[in-house]
Amino acid sequence: MTPPSTLRIQADLGRLRDVRRFVREVAPGLGADELAVRDLVQAVDEWVTNVVVHGYRGAGGPIELELARSGDEIVARVRDAAPAFDPATAPAFDPDLPLERRPAGKMGIHLIRLLCDRFEHRVPAGGGNENAMVKSTRTAPNRTGGAA
Amino acid sequence: MNTTIDRVSPEVAVLALDGELDASNYRELITTGSSLYADGARSLILDLSNLAYMSSSGIVALHSLALIFRGQLPPDPEAGWAAIHAVSADTAAGEAADQVRLVNPTPAIDSVLERTGLRRILPVYPDRNAAIAG
Repeated sequence: MTPPSTLRIQADLGRLRDVRRFVREVAPGLGADELAVRDLVQAVDEWVTNVVVHGYRGAGGPIELELARSGDEIVARVRDAAPAFDPATAPAFDPDLPLERRPAGKMGIHLIRLLCDRFEHRVPAGGGNENAMVKSTRTAPNRTGGAA
Repeated sequence: MNTTIDRVSPEVAVLALDGELDASNYRELITTGSSLYADGARSLILDLSNLAYMSSSGIVALHSLALIFRGQLPPDPEAGWAAIHAVSADTAAGEAADQVRLVNPTPAIDSVLERTGLRRILPVYPDRNAAIAG
Protein backbone atom coordinates (compact mmCIF):
# COMPACT_ATOMS: atom_id res chain seq x y z
CA MET A 1 0.00 0.00 0.00
CA THR A 2 1.27 3.48 -0.86
CA PRO A 3 1.45 6.06 1.94
CA PRO A 4 -2.00 7.59 2.43
CA SER A 5 -2.89 11.22 1.79
CA THR A 6 -5.05 12.73 4.50
CA LEU A 7 -7.50 15.64 4.80
CA ARG A 8 -8.77 16.67 8.23
CA ILE A 9 -11.79 18.96 8.51
CA GLN A 10 -14.45 19.96 10.97
CA ALA A 11 -17.90 18.63 10.09
CA ASP A 12 -19.42 21.44 8.04
CA LEU A 13 -21.36 21.20 4.79
CA GLY A 14 -19.40 24.22 3.59
CA ARG A 15 -16.29 21.99 3.45
CA LEU A 16 -17.80 19.53 0.97
CA ARG A 17 -16.23 21.34 -1.96
CA ASP A 18 -12.82 20.92 -0.27
CA VAL A 19 -13.51 17.22 0.20
CA ARG A 20 -14.33 16.80 -3.50
CA ARG A 21 -11.29 18.84 -4.54
CA PHE A 22 -9.04 16.65 -2.36
CA VAL A 23 -10.30 13.46 -3.98
CA ARG A 24 -10.04 14.94 -7.49
CA GLU A 25 -6.45 15.99 -6.82
CA VAL A 26 -5.18 12.87 -5.03
CA ALA A 27 -6.97 9.92 -6.67
CA PRO A 28 -5.45 10.31 -10.16
CA GLY A 29 -1.98 10.20 -8.62
CA LEU A 30 -2.91 6.86 -7.02
CA GLY A 31 -3.73 5.44 -10.45
CA ALA A 32 -7.50 5.88 -10.55
CA ASP A 33 -8.87 6.33 -14.06
CA GLU A 34 -11.22 9.20 -14.89
CA LEU A 35 -14.41 7.30 -14.16
CA ALA A 36 -13.04 5.83 -10.94
CA VAL A 37 -12.13 9.34 -9.78
CA ARG A 38 -15.61 10.57 -10.61
CA ASP A 39 -17.25 7.74 -8.69
CA LEU A 40 -14.96 8.18 -5.69
CA VAL A 41 -15.62 11.93 -5.58
CA GLN A 42 -19.35 11.27 -5.44
CA ALA A 43 -19.13 8.41 -2.95
CA VAL A 44 -16.92 10.34 -0.53
CA ASP A 45 -19.08 13.46 -0.85
CA GLU A 46 -22.20 11.41 -0.10
CA TRP A 47 -20.67 9.78 2.96
CA VAL A 48 -19.15 12.94 4.43
CA THR A 49 -22.54 14.61 3.97
CA ASN A 50 -24.10 11.73 5.88
CA VAL A 51 -21.60 12.10 8.72
CA VAL A 52 -22.19 15.86 8.99
CA VAL A 53 -26.00 15.70 8.80
CA HIS A 54 -26.83 12.39 10.49
CA GLY A 55 -23.68 11.38 12.38
CA TYR A 56 -22.99 14.67 14.11
CA ARG A 57 -26.55 15.96 13.54
CA GLY A 58 -25.15 19.33 12.54
CA ALA A 59 -23.35 19.80 15.86
CA GLY A 60 -19.86 19.54 14.36
CA GLY A 61 -16.92 17.28 15.09
CA PRO A 62 -13.76 16.01 13.46
CA ILE A 63 -13.70 14.18 10.14
CA GLU A 64 -10.59 12.59 8.68
CA LEU A 65 -10.45 11.47 5.06
CA GLU A 66 -7.62 9.22 3.97
CA LEU A 67 -6.93 8.08 0.42
CA ALA A 68 -4.51 5.28 -0.37
CA ARG A 69 -3.83 2.67 -3.01
CA SER A 70 -3.89 -1.02 -2.11
CA GLY A 71 -3.08 -3.35 -4.98
CA ASP A 72 -5.37 -2.43 -7.85
CA GLU A 73 -7.79 -0.58 -5.61
CA ILE A 74 -8.20 2.88 -4.14
CA VAL A 75 -9.32 2.91 -0.51
CA ALA A 76 -11.06 6.03 0.81
CA ARG A 77 -11.37 5.89 4.60
CA VAL A 78 -13.55 8.35 6.46
CA ARG A 79 -13.12 8.49 10.24
CA ASP A 80 -15.39 10.37 12.60
CA ALA A 81 -16.20 10.57 16.30
CA ALA A 82 -19.98 10.39 15.93
CA PRO A 83 -22.10 7.63 17.51
CA ALA A 84 -21.44 4.27 15.88
CA PHE A 85 -23.53 3.62 12.77
CA ASP A 86 -23.08 0.82 10.27
CA PRO A 87 -24.49 1.91 6.89
CA ALA A 88 -25.09 -1.76 6.06
CA THR A 89 -28.06 -1.52 8.42
CA ALA A 90 -29.69 1.29 6.39
CA PRO A 91 -32.83 0.22 4.52
CA ALA A 92 -32.48 -0.30 0.78
CA PHE A 93 -33.63 2.55 -1.46
CA ASP A 94 -35.95 1.62 -4.33
CA PRO A 95 -35.20 3.85 -7.36
CA ASP A 96 -38.30 2.56 -9.14
CA LEU A 97 -40.75 4.16 -6.72
CA PRO A 98 -43.01 6.83 -8.27
CA LEU A 99 -42.53 10.44 -7.26
CA GLU A 100 -45.21 10.47 -4.58
CA ARG A 101 -43.89 7.43 -2.78
CA ARG A 102 -40.18 8.19 -2.91
CA PRO A 103 -38.35 9.19 0.23
CA ALA A 104 -37.03 12.72 -0.03
CA GLY A 105 -33.61 11.57 1.11
CA LYS A 106 -31.99 8.20 1.86
CA MET A 107 -30.23 8.07 -1.51
CA GLY A 108 -26.65 8.71 -0.44
CA ILE A 109 -25.93 5.21 0.85
CA HIS A 110 -27.75 3.74 -2.17
CA LEU A 111 -25.42 5.67 -4.47
CA ILE A 112 -22.29 4.69 -2.54
CA ARG A 113 -23.24 1.01 -2.85
CA LEU A 114 -23.52 1.45 -6.63
CA LEU A 115 -20.41 3.60 -7.01
CA CYS A 116 -17.97 1.47 -5.01
CA ASP A 117 -16.89 -2.15 -5.15
CA ARG A 118 -17.03 -2.43 -1.35
CA PHE A 119 -18.31 -0.25 1.49
CA GLU A 120 -17.06 -1.41 4.86
CA HIS A 121 -17.68 -0.15 8.39
CA ARG A 122 -15.84 -0.75 11.61
CA VAL A 123 -15.77 0.81 15.03
CA PRO A 124 -12.17 1.75 15.94
CA ALA A 125 -10.84 0.91 19.40
CA GLY A 126 -11.30 4.51 20.52
CA GLY A 127 -14.92 4.70 19.31
CA GLY A 128 -16.53 6.59 16.46
CA ASN A 129 -16.63 5.14 12.97
CA GLU A 130 -14.32 4.20 10.16
CA ASN A 131 -15.98 3.65 6.80
CA ALA A 132 -13.92 2.45 3.86
CA MET A 133 -15.06 2.96 0.28
CA VAL A 134 -13.06 0.68 -1.99
CA LYS A 135 -12.91 1.18 -5.73
CA SER A 136 -10.94 -0.51 -8.48
CA THR A 137 -8.50 1.88 -10.14
CA ARG A 138 -9.93 0.97 -13.54
CA THR A 139 -13.67 1.09 -14.12
CA ALA A 140 -15.44 -0.85 -16.88
CA PRO A 141 -16.68 1.73 -19.40
CA ASN A 142 -19.81 -0.10 -20.55
CA ARG A 143 -21.95 0.07 -17.44
CA THR A 144 -24.96 2.34 -16.93
CA GLY A 145 -23.95 5.99 -17.00
CA GLY A 146 -20.42 5.19 -18.11
CA ALA A 147 -17.73 7.54 -19.28
CA ALA A 148 -18.65 10.22 -21.77
CA MET B 1 -23.59 27.45 -7.38
CA ASN B 2 -25.05 30.35 -9.36
CA THR B 3 -28.58 30.42 -10.74
CA THR B 4 -29.93 32.52 -13.61
CA ILE B 5 -33.66 32.98 -14.13
CA ASP B 6 -35.20 33.52 -17.56
CA ARG B 7 -38.94 34.07 -17.33
CA VAL B 8 -39.96 33.18 -20.87
CA SER B 9 -43.68 33.64 -20.09
CA PRO B 10 -45.82 34.16 -16.98
CA GLU B 11 -46.29 30.39 -16.76
CA VAL B 12 -42.83 29.20 -17.78
CA ALA B 13 -39.51 29.88 -16.04
CA VAL B 14 -36.07 28.68 -17.08
CA LEU B 15 -33.61 28.29 -14.22
CA ALA B 16 -30.01 27.76 -15.32
CA LEU B 17 -27.66 26.19 -12.76
CA ASP B 18 -23.91 26.86 -12.86
CA GLY B 19 -21.40 25.18 -10.55
CA GLU B 20 -21.90 22.37 -8.06
CA LEU B 21 -25.15 21.34 -6.35
CA ASP B 22 -24.64 19.60 -3.02
CA ALA B 23 -25.90 19.42 0.55
CA SER B 24 -24.61 22.93 1.27
CA ASN B 25 -26.83 24.67 -1.28
CA TYR B 26 -29.72 22.41 -2.38
CA ARG B 27 -32.20 24.19 -0.12
CA GLU B 28 -31.45 27.45 -1.94
CA LEU B 29 -32.57 25.80 -5.17
CA ILE B 30 -35.83 24.66 -3.55
CA THR B 31 -36.40 28.20 -2.24
CA THR B 32 -35.76 29.76 -5.65
CA GLY B 33 -38.12 27.32 -7.36
CA SER B 34 -40.78 27.85 -4.69
CA SER B 35 -40.60 31.60 -5.24
CA LEU B 36 -41.12 31.13 -8.98
CA TYR B 37 -44.14 28.93 -8.30
CA ALA B 38 -45.55 31.49 -5.87
CA ASP B 39 -45.06 34.12 -8.58
CA GLY B 40 -47.26 32.21 -11.02
CA ALA B 41 -44.85 29.92 -12.88
CA ARG B 42 -46.38 26.51 -13.53
CA SER B 43 -43.58 24.97 -15.61
CA LEU B 44 -39.97 24.98 -14.50
CA ILE B 45 -37.19 24.29 -16.98
CA LEU B 46 -33.94 23.44 -15.19
CA ASP B 47 -31.02 24.00 -17.53
CA LEU B 48 -28.22 21.74 -16.25
CA SER B 49 -25.76 22.46 -19.10
CA ASN B 50 -23.27 24.19 -16.80
CA LEU B 51 -23.86 22.16 -13.67
CA ALA B 52 -20.59 20.32 -13.07
CA TYR B 53 -21.61 18.16 -10.09
CA MET B 54 -24.76 17.02 -8.34
CA SER B 55 -24.99 14.93 -5.19
CA SER B 56 -28.06 13.09 -3.93
CA SER B 57 -29.00 16.33 -2.16
CA GLY B 58 -29.57 17.76 -5.63
CA ILE B 59 -31.90 14.85 -6.33
CA VAL B 60 -33.81 15.82 -3.17
CA ALA B 61 -34.12 19.35 -4.56
CA LEU B 62 -35.43 18.10 -7.93
CA HIS B 63 -37.86 15.78 -6.16
CA SER B 64 -39.11 18.64 -3.99
CA LEU B 65 -39.51 20.99 -6.96
CA ALA B 66 -41.46 18.36 -8.88
CA LEU B 67 -43.93 18.15 -5.99
CA ILE B 68 -44.08 21.94 -5.56
CA PHE B 69 -44.91 22.44 -9.23
CA ARG B 70 -47.71 19.92 -8.86
CA GLY B 71 -49.07 22.13 -6.13
CA GLN B 72 -47.98 19.78 -3.35
CA LEU B 73 -45.76 20.48 -0.41
CA PRO B 74 -42.65 18.31 -0.52
CA PRO B 75 -41.77 16.17 2.47
CA ASP B 76 -39.01 17.44 4.70
CA PRO B 77 -35.96 15.29 3.85
CA GLU B 78 -35.20 15.06 7.56
CA ALA B 79 -38.75 14.16 8.58
CA GLY B 80 -38.44 10.51 7.65
CA TRP B 81 -40.92 8.01 6.35
CA ALA B 82 -44.01 9.34 8.14
CA ALA B 83 -44.04 12.53 6.08
CA ILE B 84 -43.44 10.58 2.89
CA HIS B 85 -46.35 8.27 3.56
CA ALA B 86 -48.55 11.27 4.35
CA VAL B 87 -47.82 12.70 0.93
CA SER B 88 -48.34 9.42 -0.86
CA ALA B 89 -51.74 8.95 0.78
CA ASP B 90 -53.00 12.18 -0.81
CA THR B 91 -51.92 11.57 -4.38
CA ALA B 92 -52.33 9.10 -7.19
CA ALA B 93 -49.14 7.15 -7.70
CA GLY B 94 -47.35 7.02 -11.02
CA GLU B 95 -48.59 10.32 -12.44
CA ALA B 96 -46.28 12.02 -14.93
CA ALA B 97 -44.24 14.90 -13.55
CA ASP B 98 -43.71 17.09 -16.61
CA GLN B 99 -44.15 20.41 -14.79
CA VAL B 100 -40.41 20.21 -14.09
CA ARG B 101 -38.21 19.48 -17.10
CA LEU B 102 -34.46 18.97 -17.23
CA VAL B 103 -32.15 20.21 -19.97
CA ASN B 104 -28.82 18.81 -21.11
CA PRO B 105 -27.31 17.15 -18.02
CA THR B 106 -23.66 16.16 -18.26
CA PRO B 107 -23.03 12.39 -18.52
CA ALA B 108 -21.97 12.36 -14.84
CA ILE B 109 -25.19 14.01 -13.70
CA ASP B 110 -27.26 11.92 -16.07
CA SER B 111 -25.74 8.91 -14.34
CA VAL B 112 -26.90 10.20 -10.94
CA LEU B 113 -30.40 10.78 -12.35
CA GLU B 114 -30.44 7.23 -13.70
CA ARG B 115 -29.12 5.57 -10.55
CA THR B 116 -31.65 7.31 -8.35
CA GLY B 117 -34.55 6.60 -10.70
CA LEU B 118 -35.30 10.27 -11.37
CA ARG B 119 -34.46 9.83 -15.05
CA ARG B 120 -37.68 7.81 -15.34
CA ILE B 121 -39.76 10.45 -13.54
CA LEU B 122 -38.62 13.83 -14.87
CA PRO B 123 -38.36 14.34 -18.65
CA VAL B 124 -34.93 15.26 -20.00
CA TYR B 125 -34.50 17.38 -23.15
CA PRO B 126 -31.40 18.15 -25.22
CA ASP B 127 -31.97 21.94 -25.25
CA ARG B 128 -34.12 24.68 -23.77
CA ASN B 129 -36.39 25.14 -26.79
CA ALA B 130 -37.29 21.48 -26.85
CA ALA B 131 -38.03 21.58 -23.12
CA ILE B 132 -40.19 24.71 -23.44
CA ALA B 133 -42.11 23.13 -26.30
CA GLY B 134 -42.57 20.04 -24.14
